[in-house]
Amino acid sequence: MAQAHGLPIANQIRRLRFEHEEMTQSELAEKIGMTRQTVAAIEAGKYSPSLEAAFRIAHVFGTTLDEVFQWVG
Amino acid sequence: MSFREKSAWITLVTVLACFGAYFGAIATGRVSARGFDTLHLLLACVVGLVLLQVVLTVIAAVTTPKDGRAPRDERETLIQLRSQSLGYSVLVLLVLGLFVPGHLGHTVIDIMNFALLDVVLAVLTVAVAQIIMFRRGA
Repeated sequence: MAQAHGLPIANQIRRLRFEHEEMTQSELAEKIGMTRQTVAAIEAGKYSPSLEAAFRIAHVFGTTLDEVFQWVG
Repeated sequence: MSFREKSAWITLVTVLACFGAYFGAIATGRVSARGFDTLHLLLACVVGLVLLQVVLTVIAAVTTPKDGRAPRDERETLIQLRSQSLGYSVLVLLVLGLFVPGHLGHTVIDIMNFALLDVVLAVLTVAVAQIIMFRRGA
């Protein structure tokens, strides 16, 4: 689980990418209409995506939002 | 490095180089701050700045073709808004400071150069803030 750098949100993007045919950050970025650097920042917990972007990421992995992002307070 | 970050670096380097040369020449007395030499130097610096930025931006777009064509994503837009907000605050403070040379008896041309320096410092603030935010992730 990627723990946020001071952000209260963790995510499972790295694990989900590897479970989906080792999808690269660039491939995920292209699918959600963002740059690779933004995906890297989200994955590292340095940037909290908008609700729309979060739903797009969950949609790419065919899962729910809370499977991808967790509130850790 | 993303295209937007490269653009911020290009702005920082080209503005520093071109306006550094301009204000350096005035500060060291190589050109008079009140003559046509200053105007010619300013025009040369602005033309040089535009040419350098165009050439370097084209090179940046060629080396990151996907990013170069793509619109800003939400993180890049946020970074742009935050950095421009900071740059605006810096500009307002510096422009308020223009009263100081005005009261010290500087000429209108001197004050215009101070105003130009304020704009340059605000642009540099935006570029540096963008680079820092891109490096930190957000």
